[in-house]
Amino acid sequence: MPIYLDNNASTHLDPRVLEAMLPYLSGPAANASSLHRYGRLARDAVEAARAQIAQLVGAQPGEVIWTSGGTESNNLAIKGVAGNLAPARLLYGASEHPAVMEAAESLVSRGWTVQAIAVDKLGHVVESALQAQLARGKLKLVSLMRANNETGVIQDVARFAPAIHAAGAWLHVDAVQAAGKLPVDMAELGADLMSLSSHKIYGPKGIGALLVRADVELRPLLHGGAQERGLRGGTENVAAIAGFGRAAELVMQELEQRSAHLLPLRERLEAGLSSIPGLLIFGAGAERLPNTCQFALAGYDGEALLMQLDRRGIAVSSGSACASGSGEPSHVLIAMGYDAVTAKGAIRVSLGKDNTADDVDRLLAVLAEIARTLIAA
Amino acid sequence: MNKLSNTPVYHTPIYLDYAATTPLDPRVLEAMLPLLIEDGLHANPASSHGPGFRARAAVEKARAQVAALIRAEPTEIIWTSGATESNNLAIKGALEFRGAVQAHVITSRIEHKCVLDTCRYLETRGVRVTYLKPGAQGLVAPEQVMEALTPDTALVSLMWVNNEIGTVHEIERLAPLLRERGVLLHVDAAQAAGRVNIDLSQVPVDLLSLSAHKAYGPKGIGALFVRRRPRARLAPQMHGGGHEQGMRSGTLAPHQIVGMGAAFEILAREGPTEAVRLSALRERLWSRLQSLPNLHRNGDPDHAAPHVLNVSFEGVEGESLRASLPDLAVSSGSACSSATQEPSYVLRALGRDDELANASLRFSVGRRSTEVEIDTAAERVCRQVARLREISALWD
Amino acid sequence: MDMQSTSSNDANAYGYPPRIWQLFQQAPRAGRFEPGTPGVVAGKAGTPAARSVLSLEMRFEQGRVIDARFRAYGCPSSIAVGAWIAQWSQGREPAELAALSAAHLRAELEIPEDRAHCALMGEDALRDLLANIKT
Repeated sequence: MPIYLDNNASTHLDPRVLEAMLPYLSGPAANASSLHRYGRLARDAVEAARAQIAQLVGAQPGEVIWTSGGTESNNLAIKGVAGNLAPARLLYGASEHPAVMEAAESLVSRGWTVQAIAVDKLGHVVESALQAQLARGKLKLVSLMRANNETGVIQDVARFAPAIHAAGAWLHVDAVQAAGKLPVDMAELGADLMSLSSHKIYGPKGIGALLVRADVELRPLLHGGAQERGLRGGTENVAAIAGFGRAAELVMQELEQRSAHLLPLRERLEAGLSSIPGLLIFGAGAERLPNTCQFALAGYDGEALLMQLDRRGIAVSSGSACASGSGEPSHVLIAMGYDAVTAKGAIRVSLGKDNTADDVDRLLAVLAEIARTLIAA
Repeated sequence: MNKLSNTPVYHTPIYLDYAATTPLDPRVLEAMLPLLIEDGLHANPASSHGPGFRARAAVEKARAQVAALIRAEPTEIIWTSGATESNNLAIKGALEFRGAVQAHVITSRIEHKCVLDTCRYLETRGVRVTYLKPGAQGLVAPEQVMEALTPDTALVSLMWVNNEIGTVHEIERLAPLLRERGVLLHVDAAQAAGRVNIDLSQVPVDLLSLSAHKAYGPKGIGALFVRRRPRARLAPQMHGGGHEQGMRSGTLAPHQIVGMGAAFEILAREGPTEAVRLSALRERLWSRLQSLPNLHRNGDPDHAAPHVLNVSFEGVEGESLRASLPDLAVSSGSACSSATQEPSYVLRALGRDDELANASLRFSVGRRSTEVEIDTAAERVCRQVARLREISALWD
Repeated sequence: MDMQSTSSNDANAYGYPPRIWQLFQQAPRAGRFEPGTPGVVAGKAGTPAARSVLSLEMRFEQGRVIDARFRAYGCPSSIAVGAWIAQWSQGREPAELAALSAAHLRAELEIPEDRAHCALMGEDALRDLLANIKT
C-alpha cells in the first residue's frame, strides 16, 4: 500500500462512518421526502445528522443545507446570495479555493463588481487592503476561507467580521479545510454562511453542507422540490448524510486527540525538511493547520517530484487536487508573491489522523535521496 | 355496523414506491464497498498520484457502463449529484450558453417539479416558456411540440417517462423532427432508464438526464448525457476546479459513481426481461383493484412504462385513504411534493378535478415485487376504500 | 385487546392524536338510518370542494337523542368529529346539543390548529340539525 499523504485532497472513510452508512445502503429503500414509514425512517436519519453538523460548528439544525460537497456549498453561498440582490460588490481573498473565485467571477457577467483582496507573503489577507475595499460601499458579500487548502495558513476571519458587517455585507467562510482540524464556531468567526465538506473529515464523498444564518436570503442553485426549505432540490442522499453526521460527531469527540497526533508529526516532517538544502516551506511563519506543509525543493519541478514520490509509493499533491495536472502554477502561491518557477516547485504534504512517524520518516528518506541525486546531477 | 375487522392494523409493509426510489441492489453495494473501505480506492480522482489514478480508472469504467445503457460515448456522460442537478444543468446551462434572454423554451405541464421550477426561474430572467397541456391520457404528442415552435425556440424539454402516471412519450418520433429544425432537445430520463429502450445512437436527443437511485443505484449521483456530434454546449452551473470537461466542478464521489455504473450495467443485462415481468405485475394489480367500482386509471395503457400504475378512487378523501394504508408504501403524487399534500399537478393537468386528483395513489413495482405482494396490496386497498366509502357522506 | 391497541399505535404512522386515530379507525356509528325511521332529524355541513362534508342523523324520542349516525368525507379528523358527536349526543336534549362548540370539540379530540376547520364543521352540522328540529 502506498503511503497516503494527501488528506487535504480527500481523506479515507473512517470505518465507524461506514458503519453508520450501511443501514441506509443495504436497508429498505427510502426516499426521505416520501411520507410513508420508510420515508420517515430516512428523514429521522437526515435530521439526526443535521443536528450533528450544526453542533460541530455551533449552529442551529435549521441553518444546515445539504449540498453535494464543498464546491456546491461555495457556489450556493455566492451565487445564492447574489441571485436575490441587484448587482453590487463582492470581495474574496486572493488565495481562496477555485470554487469561490470562479463562482464569484461568474457574477461579473451579471453586472457584479468582484474584487480579490490581496494576501501577504504569509498568506494572510492584507488588512489595509480589506479596509480600503470595505470603505467603498455597495458591498454585499465577503468570502474568506478559514484555512487554506494548499498552505494550511489560517485566516483570522473573526477579526475582520465586525468591519465586514459594519460595511453592510455578509461574511461567507469556506471552512472546508478547517473543519475537523481546528475548532470552528460560526458565531465566534462571525460567519453568516459557512461551507463544509464531508470527505475532508473522514466522511463519504458526494456530500457537504452550507450553513446559512436565518436572516440571509438565498436563491436556490438547484431548482425543484421542497427539500432543504426549497433552497436545494434533489432527493436527499441519506447514506452519505448519515455518514457525514457521524464523521462530524467523531470530530467533536476526537479533535484534540487528532491535533495532538498531527502537530508533532508535522514538526517531525519540518525538522527533517530543514536539513535538506534549498528547501522552502510556504507560510512557515504563519499559524497553520496542524496537518499541512507545503514546500518547494529549489530547482525541482513540483509535478516531476510528485511523480518520483508516487513511483516510490508516496502520494502527495502539488497543490489542490482540482488544479493538478493543469501545469499552471498555484494561484495561492502567486498571490502570496512567489514567482511562477518557485510556485511550480510546490509539493503539499497533508497528514491524516492515521499517518504515523514511520510514514513521515519514509517521506524524508525518499526526499533526501531525490535531493542527493539532484545535487549529483 | 361493526367495522373493527376492517380497521387499519399494522401489517408487514409492502413497498410499492419504486418510482420514488429503489433499494440499492446488493450487487451494486458489493461493487461500491471496495471504494468505501480503508486502504481502498479512497483518493480524490483528480489527484495526480497512484491512488488518484486508480480512483479515476474506476470512475471511467463506470462512465462507460452508463454510456453503454443508452448507447452513447463515455465522453458524453457528465457526472452530477442526481437527476435534479442534471435537469438544472441541461436547461439553465443550454440557455445561458446561448446568452439568449429573448429565447423561448417548450416543456410540458407534467414534467418533474425540478424542470418546471427551473423553467419558472428562467421566466424571471426573461425567457418565454410554453407549458404544453397533455391529452386526457397524459401524453404530449410530437405534433403539439412542433406546432408550438417559434423562430426563437432554443430548447424543448420533455420527459421520456412520466414519474406519476408512467406515460411514455414518443421521443423517437419527436427527436428527428426537432433535429431537422435545429432545436435542442433535452429529455428527463430518470424514470425511463432501464425500463424503456433508449438508443441515443439512433435517436438524436441532445441532452438526457439520468438518476442512479431510481435504478437500484445509490442516491446522490446522476448523470447528464451531453451529445458531442453535433455538440450540445452548456454554460457550467457549478464553478471551481474545472472537473467534467469544465461543465461540472466538484470532487467526484467514486463510490457513488461506481455504484451507478454497476447499476446501469445490471439494467442493460436484465432490464428487458424485468420490464416484461413488471408490466405483468402492473396489470395484475389493476385487474385486482377492479373489484372496486368507480376507479379511474390515470395514464395511457398503450404507452405505459412497465412499473407505474396510477389510480383515482371516487368517493374517498386522499388523506384518509393514505392514513388507512400505513403499511403500504405508495405515493400520492411525486415524492417531492407529497409533504405539501396538494393534489397532484400532473393529474390536474390531465383534467382530473381536485377531489379525484387528491384521492389517487401511485403504485410503482420493482425488482423485489412479487405476485403475492401485489395481491395482498390490492386486497388492503380494496378493503380500506370500501370502508371509507361506507363512512363517506358523498357515497351512495 | 392489548394486541389490537399495540397494532393500532403502529398503524398510526402519521402521528394523529390518539383520540382522533381511534375514532377514525373504528368509526363507530358510521352510516345512516333506514329511510322512514321515525323521529330522525338530519344536518349537514361542508363542501366537496373543501374536501370535507359531514352529515349527521339523530333519532329523537321524548325530546332526547336515542340513537345517532354520521357520515363523513374528509380527513381523519373530520371522520373523528362525526363519530364523536354521534356518540356524545346519546341521551341528550337539543339544549345540551346546542351548547357544543367547536372549541369544546377541539379540546376533546385534541384537534390541532391546522385542522380547526374540522371542529367548526362539526359545530355547523349540529347547528343545521338543530335548525331542522324547529321547522
